[in-house]
Amino acid sequence: MLLGIDVGGTHTDAVLLDTNGLVDSAKVVTNHDDLLSSVRAALEAILTDRGQIDLERFNLSTTLCTNAIIQNELSDVGVLVSAGPGIDPNFFRIGQHYSVIPGGLDHRGTEIQSLDLDRARQTVDDWLGKDVRVFAAINKFSPRNPSHEKQMAELLDGRADFLTLGHTLSGQLNFPRRIATAYYNSAVWPIFNGFANSVHQCVQEFGLSPQLNILKADGGTMPFEQARQTPVESIFSGPAASIMGITSMCDIHEDALLLDIGGTTTDVAVFADGDPLIEAESIELEHRPTLVRAMKTKSIGLGGDSCITVQEGQLSIGPKRLGACLAQGGPAPTLVDALNSAKCFAYGDIEASDKGMQELGGSLEMSCEGFSWQVIQSFCRRIKEDAQAMLREINERPVYTVHEFLEYRKVAPKRLYLMGGPAEVLAPYISQEFGLPVVVPDNYAVANALGAAIARPTQQAELFADTEKRTMSIPVLGVFQDISSRYSLEQAKTDVKNHLRQAMADRFHMEVTEQEAEIIEESEMSMVKDIYSVGKDIRVKCQVKPGISPEYEGVVKCLCKEL
Amino acid sequence: MSVQRAVNTLGVVFFPAFDWAISPTHPERQERLLYTMDQLKEEGVFDIPGITEHKPDVASMEDIRRVHFSFPDTGSNLTSSHLISAGGAIKAGTMVLQGQEDKAFALVRPPGHHAMKVVHGGRGFCNINIEAIMVEYLREFHGVGRVAIVDTDCHHGDGTQDIYWHDPETLYISLHQDGRTLFPGSGFPGEIGGPKARGRTLNIPLPPNTSDEGFLAVMDNVVVPVLEHFKPDVIVNSAGQDNHFTDPITNMRFSAQGYAALNTKLNPDIAVLEGGYSIQGALPYVNLGIVLAMAGLDYSFVREPDYDPESLRQEQRINDYVKRVSEVVLKNYFTPPSSEVSQDKQDGYYVRSKEVFYDTSFITERQREFVLDCTNCRGLLVIETSSSKIRNCLAIEVPRGACQSCAREGERKFAEAKDSDRYSNIQYINRLEGTTQRHRT
Repeated sequence: MLLGIDVGGTHTDAVLLDTNGLVDSAKVVTNHDDLLSSVRAALEAILTDRGQIDLERFNLSTTLCTNAIIQNELSDVGVLVSAGPGIDPNFFRIGQHYSVIPGGLDHRGTEIQSLDLDRARQTVDDWLGKDVRVFAAINKFSPRNPSHEKQMAELLDGRADFLTLGHTLSGQLNFPRRIATAYYNSAVWPIFNGFANSVHQCVQEFGLSPQLNILKADGGTMPFEQARQTPVESIFSGPAASIMGITSMCDIHEDALLLDIGGTTTDVAVFADGDPLIEAESIELEHRPTLVRAMKTKSIGLGGDSCITVQEGQLSIGPKRLGACLAQGGPAPTLVDALNSAKCFAYGDIEASDKGMQELGGSLEMSCEGFSWQVIQSFCRRIKEDAQAMLREINERPVYTVHEFLEYRKVAPKRLYLMGGPAEVLAPYISQEFGLPVVVPDNYAVANALGAAIARPTQQAELFADTEKRTMSIPVLGVFQDISSRYSLEQAKTDVKNHLRQAMADRFHMEVTEQEAEIIEESEMSMVKDIYSVGKDIRVKCQVKPGISPEYEGVVKCLCKEL
Repeated sequence: MSVQRAVNTLGVVFFPAFDWAISPTHPERQERLLYTMDQLKEEGVFDIPGITEHKPDVASMEDIRRVHFSFPDTGSNLTSSHLISAGGAIKAGTMVLQGQEDKAFALVRPPGHHAMKVVHGGRGFCNINIEAIMVEYLREFHGVGRVAIVDTDCHHGDGTQDIYWHDPETLYISLHQDGRTLFPGSGFPGEIGGPKARGRTLNIPLPPNTSDEGFLAVMDNVVVPVLEHFKPDVIVNSAGQDNHFTDPITNMRFSAQGYAALNTKLNPDIAVLEGGYSIQGALPYVNLGIVLAMAGLDYSFVREPDYDPESLRQEQRINDYVKRVSEVVLKNYFTPPSSEVSQDKQDGYYVRSKEVFYDTSFITERQREFVLDCTNCRGLLVIETSSSKIRNCLAIEVPRGACQSCAREGERKFAEAKDSDRYSNIQYINRLEGTTQRHRT
């Protein structure tokens, strides 16, 4: 059996399922000051009176780290940086303890200035004296050569509670993002580590010993042991949980959009051939871009509770929420009131809706019903325009080869999936606006917890080989090897797949098939000195994408009504 | 210090064409912008608020035909990569003219500044002139008039010079290594533009080993004052990076700091990458320096690993030379010698004969160029051209702003040529009507 818990902003949802389908689900109110108690309450709701169960996995999606960052409950981090030529690294300063240590590498990872170890040692000693317990070490171009990060690690050996090395987070080149990501990873570590211990203990108290996993923002999971190394990857996992849940319940396998109409926002996710799009560089924390991979989503400032106003003869919806709709005794008309007055449905106090819409419409010399229709139409139109802007941005993504430029595959949604309170009522109008079929899944209330439960580990690995230097590396997997000068792209593809599959087995307890480790980018270029070819620059990116354990695929279905 | 925000918004159109090269070990090859990409990505340049990466457009055949006479036809002298490279320049220019970005940098390849008005093949790694294609696009669709192109590639931009030789609305300034010591062997101070555009072409040849000091002195003493006087609507930098002290095929001592400072002084609206073949030691730093300078950001830490200002200092002899050549060039702009002195004339047309060697395609071309001496406009352009590949071609252009009489004359010449059997291939550009025509026998 699988257990999934999603600790959300208001509710904590839990589901228990086996290969025949949903066994049970539960919902408890989230206690922000004590997330562990919310997890415990959800566990109790699901497990009490159930007797002994054979629980294989317990996947947890939690706002713990996100909250710690938003509420600034971060630990002091000693950030050691070495840079080399380029933008002044002082522009990337983060936290109270940030020091640029002289030393630098170039873009091929060649050392051009050795690390000033004396300076680094003094800095570290000084910070330890100030009771700094967690650290981050980042050198520019560390995915090419992490030697400075490793030297800093040696200096700290045994003296720090925790240390994040930049190159272990991502093979992606982006020094400022790597600094910010490493900083946050260390800053949330103490809180996360304590939480992980407590959850572990709590589960044991229930007499269970499942694999414990944490959900990531890219819709994949990582075991607790791994999460203790990279807790930052657990931020913003909530949307990923819902998207994974819907993917599973609706069996999406074409280009599609998922629109989740909430109170004040509508969240959009994009599917290409049924796979949710993932971004390697998306999440910002406190306006700092990071390297945390996440589902590509966009939040449109428009929801069921967005208030409707008329200003200078112009209709405007949102982005503010003044309260509930008039039909529920709220202070200002919202989309729900417009739907009431347009006779799309009958919800709460219809007269209150009509009165409010009459008044606003009157100021534009429109009838109550006519004005209501205009509100509905302009709501749908704005959703469409913003969703299309998102698609344009995706489809305008730069490419770097003539081949990709000419063969570019654009994402073109064939179907829309609509979730949230007014989804069913709005569906025909959204469908008309987009000119696409709209599907409204029923029973999506459990989607988030279900998504957490069925999610599997994900990992991306970038291989970089330089046959002139005769080195090959896969930074995130800690692989740094010598190779022969005849090393080839084919060999690189085999190597990255094998290393990734091995790492998935060792670290994530997951057997990955050859096909599941997919190559998503590859390039091989001759390096020329004068007029002679001196070697090859080989790059391969491989991933295990988010997915669902095969034995649980489609076990929880929902009625997907197409409208 | 906290996160930087661009002072000028900057759009970077980045297209490194990682799958295209003239030949595997050619300097203009796949790998050329690889380390530039790595450096820009590692610096997080595209995360700086105000700096945005864009995908290029693809230029249409009509965008090329608006500028070039291309024999036997436009398609046979280019590849998709050229169309994307030109499309990248067009995208950069369009974003600036539409106000989407304050400035734009087309970091694209292959380059273009050796491609002349007439094209029979590839010259100096160039097949079509991507700056000229952009400029004429902006003139056609965005109402641009006066344009200054400042070419800071180490090689004389003889293609751009040729295209704008007769255009008084385009000021072409080239700073380059002295033609007596480097391809293409032209670009002397005496080359100052055609009879109707005297002083609109300015050549500033610099001796080998000129360093930051020399280049920046030319900017201060010649380029900036001339631009202040010319008052262009748009300033374009043909941003070649082969003046760098590590470039393998040139002999100058310019640095990333120098290139960035040059950009600050020039303050171009649009920059378009040209040459630059020190792909590891120079391009990553020079491109980063240019990006930061255009965005108005600090670039004081952008230095090559082996940068040593002391060892790059130029000799006094070069200082003296730079001073002398600057005085000559200033005079060429402000008081150019009269056209009557030096130009041959035949039946009311100014005549110029040229031989052009296409070093990349190994083709030689002979041409005779005729410009009608018109009192109302810059005059109808007619070119007779033959190459080792194709003989007896004729090119006719009714230029932008041509008078009705020149337009009629162009139409008549085209009709006459079609009727005669003297020419195997006739190409006709009419910029008044915005049309091009081709005729082959």
